[in-house]
Amino acid sequence: MDKLASLLHTSPATAWMVVKVIIVFSAVMLLASVWTWVERRGSAMIQDRIGPNRAALFGKIRIIGLAQLLADGIKFFFKEDLVPAEANKGLFWLAPFLAFVPALMGFAIIPFGRSFVSGGVTYHLSVLDPGNGMGMLYPLAIGGMAVYGVLVAAWSSNNKWSILGGMRASATMVSYEIGISLAVIAIFMSANGYDPSDVIKAQGHTPWTWFVVRQPLGFLVFFTCMFAETNRLPFDFAEGESEIVAGFNTEYGSMKFSLLALAEYSHLMTASALIATLYFGGWQVPFVKDPTVMLSVASFVLKLLFFAWVFVWVRWTLPRFRYDQLMHLGWKVMLPLSMANLVFHAWRMSQGH
Amino acid sequence: MFLTFALITLCAALGMLLQKNVIVAGLCLVATFFGLAGLFLLLANPVAAAFQLIVYSGAIMVLVLFVIMMLNSHEEEPAQASRPVQRWLGVALAALLALGSIKLVSASAGVAALAKSGAAVPTAMTLQKVGTTLFAEHVLGFEVAGLLLLVAMIGAVALTKRNL
Repeated sequence: MDKLASLLHTSPATAWMVVKVIIVFSAVMLLASVWTWVERRGSAMIQDRIGPNRAALFGKIRIIGLAQLLADGIKFFFKEDLVPAEANKGLFWLAPFLAFVPALMGFAIIPFGRSFVSGGVTYHLSVLDPGNGMGMLYPLAIGGMAVYGVLVAAWSSNNKWSILGGMRASATMVSYEIGISLAVIAIFMSANGYDPSDVIKAQGHTPWTWFVVRQPLGFLVFFTCMFAETNRLPFDFAEGESEIVAGFNTEYGSMKFSLLALAEYSHLMTASALIATLYFGGWQVPFVKDPTVMLSVASFVLKLLFFAWVFVWVRWTLPRFRYDQLMHLGWKVMLPLSMANLVFHAWRMSQGH
Repeated sequence: MFLTFALITLCAALGMLLQKNVIVAGLCLVATFFGLAGLFLLLANPVAAAFQLIVYSGAIMVLVLFVIMMLNSHEEEPAQASRPVQRWLGVALAALLALGSIKLVSASAGVAALAKSGAAVPTAMTLQKVGTTLFAEHVLGFEVAGLLLLVAMIGAVALTKRNL
């Protein structure tokens, strides 16, 4: 790292920062685009079909259909870019970026491996170093901004179905964010800190001390609310293609649609990373006290991929809720459950556990 | 950095005032909140920045935009009569507010510490500090605010749900 920094005439800290940003964001974007393919293959597997396995490089090299990503990308780039006549042009252009940037930014706080010391300098494996004061409030704040991509896309298309989708998304987001916040507060209390490194340290390396075992109710609420936050089935009311055509992205095509889709999958990756960090020990390796850096990164990536797969799994297993059922679940089940979780853990802490 | 966020805040605030389209005005307000959060961050108060984003742009503005979309009134209505008295009163009150806040800032301990070299640098705000300050020094205000919010909530429920 020092050599690279001196080669580029910057300090090691700056070079490390740049490297981290490039690695993290390109990895998340790559994973998100791979996951569009995993979703299609996974849905095929669950529905006893084959799925996209035909795309091949130069018509020959067929890696279980992975070239589909490339084909899709090229297709989206060369499609005609239509803007509806009565649409608000500026906002219509801006919306995919408003959706994509927060989805990616949320990942910045997640530690994806243990910190290590090299040459007397501590290197942290997360884009935002621990002790920045924002801690786990940061993903919540950025997650709140994510709904604007959907809202702006919906409204600027000037389409009834789009606006219906946008309104559903905003109402869902507000209702489920309370459940998430209360579940996360219970974690802050048990971890005695709100920095992700504190949360991971508090969980330890044994699976039965992870927060999923210590706070199963909180995990249930957080996990469910994450589906609503990422607009995934069973809660994909912003899209709801059997009810409102394609919801907020009805009018989108070409690269703009592809960016909206990528935003959804980046959001999924960030949500999986949050679940892994908050409830499954982050980069902790089960039963290994002091894992090597590589082992810890591998452990984190494995957890992340598992939860990303669970998102796909659930999407093709559960049917969509009705909208009133969603609101009922959010306000009358998730909110009381997360409150009960919070009060229970506060009471336990007051008893000195 | 300060200039960037200050410019974002100011331009978005101006855009919100001048924009005739209500939804675009609302989005400008969101940009203002974002710029404000950046300013809080520069003032070494990341907790306030996070809450600015979570509460104002993440919840309140989403609900406001939801209501605007539901009412389907996207254009600002023209005033029925010009009201010069209210307009000048508004300007005077805004000027008073600006004067008061400038006075408060220039009289604060932080600005005084800037003039002296070697004065204690205030440390960054953390969630723990916010908690202890709220529950140790401002308990009364905190509880009164909570009670007020509870009253408002019960009122809203009673108004909208006549038959529970």
